[in-house]
Amino acid sequence: MAILETKDLAFSYPDGTLALDDINVRIEQGKKIAFVGRNGSGKSTLFLAMNGTHRPKKGEIRFHGKPMKYDSKSLREIRKNIGIVFQNSDDQIFAPTIYQDVAFGPVNLGYPKEKVEEIVHRTLEYVGLTHLRDKPPHHLSGGQKKRVAIAGIIAMDPEIIILDEPLANLDPVGADEVMDLLNELNYFGKTIIISTHDVDLAYSWADYIFLMNERRVISEGMPDEIFMQDENLKAASLKRPVTLEMYEEIKRRGMARYQCCPRNIPDLVHALRSQHLLWVDVPPEVKEGDYVNLGILYGEYAQNSAYEAANCKVLHIHDDGLAIVEMDRKAFRAGSIGIYDTARHSREELLQVMERDGIECVGAMGKRSKLLAERDEIHLDVTAGVVDRSILNALSGQRCLILTNGGMVYHALERIRNYMDNSGLNIPVNILNPGSEEVVKQETARSMET
Amino acid sequence: MTHILDDYAVLSPLRYKNNWLKLAIVTFGILTGVSSSSPCVPFVIALCMGFATVRFGKISAGFYLRLLAAPAGFVLVSAVIIAFFFGEGAKLFSLGVWGLTLGVSEAGLNMALLVLARTLGGMSCLFFLSLTTPMIELFSVLKATGFPDSFIEIAMMMYRYIFVFLEVAMGVKYAQTVRLGYRDFRTSFRSMVMLGSNLFIRSWEQGEKLYVSMNARCYDGKLILLDEKRPVKLPEVVLTIAYFALVVTVYYFSRGMFIV
Repeated sequence: MAILETKDLAFSYPDGTLALDDINVRIEQGKKIAFVGRNGSGKSTLFLAMNGTHRPKKGEIRFHGKPMKYDSKSLREIRKNIGIVFQNSDDQIFAPTIYQDVAFGPVNLGYPKEKVEEIVHRTLEYVGLTHLRDKPPHHLSGGQKKRVAIAGIIAMDPEIIILDEPLANLDPVGADEVMDLLNELNYFGKTIIISTHDVDLAYSWADYIFLMNERRVISEGMPDEIFMQDENLKAASLKRPVTLEMYEEIKRRGMARYQCCPRNIPDLVHALRSQHLLWVDVPPEVKEGDYVNLGILYGEYAQNSAYEAANCKVLHIHDDGLAIVEMDRKAFRAGSIGIYDTARHSREELLQVMERDGIECVGAMGKRSKLLAERDEIHLDVTAGVVDRSILNALSGQRCLILTNGGMVYHALERIRNYMDNSGLNIPVNILNPGSEEVVKQETARSMET
Repeated sequence: MTHILDDYAVLSPLRYKNNWLKLAIVTFGILTGVSSSSPCVPFVIALCMGFATVRFGKISAGFYLRLLAAPAGFVLVSAVIIAFFFGEGAKLFSLGVWGLTLGVSEAGLNMALLVLARTLGGMSCLFFLSLTTPMIELFSVLKATGFPDSFIEIAMMMYRYIFVFLEVAMGVKYAQTVRLGYRDFRTSFRSMVMLGSNLFIRSWEQGEKLYVSMNARCYDGKLILLDEKRPVKLPEVVLTIAYFALVVTVYYFSRGMFIV
């Protein structure tokens, strides 16, 4: 269902400069949308039109199918439901303390004092900033300010959250935390719209992409469609995402299986065709296309893991009994991924679990889990791109643990299961300390499988 | 990054104590210090306040002394001048400069010591307040003393954007310095003018952005105050009463007493 639509939208600034022209977009509920375009292509102006700040010169905007009205009461309703996070956090954070700033929206919506207090407390906890509630904003880092700005918006509980260049000026870890937060919000049903000129981000994150150039939307579609259209990308002064570029080059050299299009590094790794060709003397009963087992490699022959099983696919058999086989190495020791919900955390239990499962690689997702790990002196091997990294490590035989909490537990689980579905590779994955309702869910999932 | 006094106050543990108690302590200190005729009382106040700021407020002693050095240096010079030019009567000692005889009388010296003590006492009281009570805590005090809401709201936003513009100003100043904008008097003057006009335009733009962003968050004329309930605890009361008692006792016994 379309939650937000524009019809033939045009807007010009009071001095007559045309800023938006002939914009027709349809935004589906619960999706992750990216508007991609160079600086000055009209993304920010479009966003301000979407929350009623700019009144269109021509055309209309529909929210839940109803045309947007511009009297103050309707505007309030629109702005409560369409939150916008500006590119520069300092434009948005104007109260002298974090607490007051996050409370700004709820107070102006006329909520009673206790409710405001409860909302602010919950929101700050959610973005992991409770310890900074009495600090003035100029004592915060860029990433923290961005999370305060987002908290100020989610405190109003909007249906759509629009973020203008959410990762501008953030360091990789800060950027990762903001993206984790957005994924979690999306998981709980919020529609997220971002603008960016970072093609890699848009390609790997978004469900649907609008490509903008010179005040217009020049193309729209799924990420892999959009970024395969070289002409449009050139027109918009953008380039292909690195992952896609690498995939294209690999494919051109005949090193890729046909599988379009890898969106992240695990996908890319999976797209690689195994390149080990060997001459093997095979028994006469073996036919082309069969698999033969060459035993187990270890020591310096095993490249990625302590022990590897070498299974070979027979490609061609010569008359003299020699065959060309393609070696497919499988780590002998199966890797696994455990997810630990830090919402129900005790240090003893966690250490016990790590000991029991022989965990070799620990990653933390979300600010709260990182803080907990730091407090409990648990060494983190991975702090950015945790799910991708854990999949890659598990594929090469490591046992990984992801520390996370709340909705991100399911988000991580879903990402890993998606990878398994798409690649056909099985990675044992489970929640190590499921709560009562999750036990039921896991049981039902298991019974459905069998 | 440079720290300003407010930053120290935000980080001070005394920030989380009752604002009214701190205000009472400071007001008491200033009033008794000024009304005492003997320098003993303001000296005692200066010592107590300095101790409280450094010990309980966790301000480093070195920094505190450096902070106090500016007014102290100024008042020392004034005290010397007062000692020489005030007071009639017998000179304690005198010296001749180019045929003129300059001397210090008993009254003059007493006056100088009193001025010195009062200034230090008053400054240490004010430093206690400004190093332990950040502006953000004082807004609710302003509200309680009956300032109009819109005045406080504008003050709160001004407070916030002072820091934003401070950062911008430092950035611009640095950019000017590395391009030799402060090479000599003429260029410094030009650079300062450019910095000022640039800041003016920026604050104008910031105002418009602020308006848009407040509207985008459903502004309806309400900005809440940080109104924390901070009950006064028993040890604080005991300590405060002990301090008041000490000052009052010194005040009583030092009436009319002079150092020399």
